[in-house]
Amino acid sequence: MNPLILIILLTTLILGTMMVVTSSHWLLAWIGFEMNMMAFIPIMMKNPNPRATEASTKYLLTQATASALLMMAVIINLMHSGQWTITKLFNPTASTLMTVALAIKLGLAPFHFWVPEVTQGIPLTTGLILLTWQKLAPLSILYQISPSINLHLMLIMSLLSILMGGWGGLNQTQLRKIMAYSSIAHMGWMTAILLYNPTLTLLNLLIYITMTFTMFMLFIQNSTTTTLSLSQTWNKMPVITTLTMLTLLSMGGLPPLSGFMPKWMIIQELTKNDMLIVPTFMAITALLNLYFYMRLTYSTALTLFPSTNNMKMKWQFNSTKRTPLLPTAIVISTMLLPLTPMLSILL
Amino acid sequence: MALVHKLLNGTYILRKCLKPGVASCPFLGTRSADYCSSSLEKPAAAPGKASSQRKTEGNLEGHHQREVALDITSPEDKPEVSFDKAIKEEIMDHFRRLKNDIVNHWIGPEGRPLHEVLMEQAKVVWQFRGKEDLDKWIVTSDKVIGGRSEVFLKMGKSNRSALLYGTLSSEAPQDGESDRSGYCAMISKIPRGPFERKRFYDWSQFNTLYLRVRGDGRPWMVNIREDMDIIQRKDQMYSYFMFTRGGPYWQEVKIPFSKFFFSNRGRIRDAQYQLLLDKISSIGFTLADKVDGPFFLEIDFIGVFTDPAHTEEFAYENSPELSPRLFK
Repeated sequence: MNPLILIILLTTLILGTMMVVTSSHWLLAWIGFEMNMMAFIPIMMKNPNPRATEASTKYLLTQATASALLMMAVIINLMHSGQWTITKLFNPTASTLMTVALAIKLGLAPFHFWVPEVTQGIPLTTGLILLTWQKLAPLSILYQISPSINLHLMLIMSLLSILMGGWGGLNQTQLRKIMAYSSIAHMGWMTAILLYNPTLTLLNLLIYITMTFTMFMLFIQNSTTTTLSLSQTWNKMPVITTLTMLTLLSMGGLPPLSGFMPKWMIIQELTKNDMLIVPTFMAITALLNLYFYMRLTYSTALTLFPSTNNMKMKWQFNSTKRTPLLPTAIVISTMLLPLTPMLSILL
Repeated sequence: MALVHKLLNGTYILRKCLKPGVASCPFLGTRSADYCSSSLEKPAAAPGKASSQRKTEGNLEGHHQREVALDITSPEDKPEVSFDKAIKEEIMDHFRRLKNDIVNHWIGPEGRPLHEVLMEQAKVVWQFRGKEDLDKWIVTSDKVIGGRSEVFLKMGKSNRSALLYGTLSSEAPQDGESDRSGYCAMISKIPRGPFERKRFYDWSQFNTLYLRVRGDGRPWMVNIREDMDIIQRKDQMYSYFMFTRGGPYWQEVKIPFSKFFFSNRGRIRDAQYQLLLDKISSIGFTLADKVDGPFFLEIDFIGVFTDPAHTEEFAYENSPELSPRLFK
């Protein structure tokens, strides 16, 4: 794509999200959402092919519907309270509608069907932006309206998301779909704790963005999009293979890696609020997630898959892919657990 | 030839008892299939084929109607037709498929463990061994637009292959608007899951299509369609040509997926896109070579495999002059 056009689109994307995050007027937040969507769709079509067109169309339809529902919720709130300020909402209908609209934007179950299909149709870098940057704006609005969200609706959606994210990712051999289902499950964890301690939502978001960024950078460096091609990395870059394993286990939430931190804090916070069944269910269904990460680890790092060359190791050339901050990201996504006390009150 | 044996034996791997060494080592299960030589079956002897070909061609003009299988049952064992029971059985069948779907989802992709799916290098997707295999295909010709071609599909000799035969006629239909006609096609039905959900094939670890056919020298076109749920996908198709030799020997056609070119609404487009293999819906064979007369094509099986020597990703380039939109 023409670099000038790409710069304009990326700037609009960043500006849209910043407008949503920093505004206090509902209309400006809605405009920010629309700018974000409009700028992202040409970015998804960087390499035009029928699959990318399909992904862009699905993204447009879902996000436009969500924006329309969001506007309707804003207007109902306006009718009942007479003001456009982004504080808690003054009407349960408006609150429910807005929660549903933001769930569609985030990809929470039962509105999660678009996430794997869209992620599969776009290149890896764009998929990274979809699963990390595009989550910032809806979660910031959810954070701001969290006092007025219906508890039952939010809990049901988050529990369903964790379940569907784990169940749907079980059989995938395409890496982008695996990352999409992992995103759905993590969004479930984030929204489960939103009504009890929103700080932990932001902590989970931060750790999730770091881990997803690391995973996508590893995929970009290996240029892999399927499990089979990822399983050949032991032949090319054995150190990266080990670090892929550590990052995947961190995504699964295993101590002593940093992915354990948000899960631990969320379960602790939920039990402090006298809820026992919900965190048990969440912890058990997170095992489904761990199962498919473990399978990926197994085929990548723990076993040597048969490859077509006869040598023990291929020549290791300098990689031509641009993977910025990869070592930093790997360190942050695996070794941040000792900083838990600071991070859980900082945000 | 070894590949033919591997693919043929692969179809029997479930029915024959595996040797203990193979059974205990699932990683190598598919690879040592060619050691199960007990299930090797040679194709039918050549001399019989030549005469059956001539007989088939001679019969084509006179016996079209009789050779269409109608499955007429005799009056003695007419089955009881009960509307309610049929509907109930249909619904129970769908729920059973749904339960199988959920259980298979737990086991792995397509109901097999993941390591088996990942290690697989050759797979038979369609084979013709009985009447139920013919039900997975639809035959069509230009009769639907008013032309005069005829096409039929039936099982071949001793249920070892399928025979697609008929007459091609490029006489234009008399409807005042078409001036060209003459095509026959055999298209696979879209695989369905419970409650008629559309499924698709995932061939992303394979890179070549393998066909074992016996034709009459006519050039056929192999068309692959992807997932058709999106609104404009029904018109998009990826095709390549299959040139058949006319001989009595079976022909093994290997078409890499990188060679398939893209066409939309029947026209080959200037902007060419790669065939992505993770959502294949159906495959089809079309004959439209403007030569009037009878034709036949005998198909043994259709499979996919990984050719490690084939490293090409896409055979066609896009040029800035023809499609400037792609180079903006």
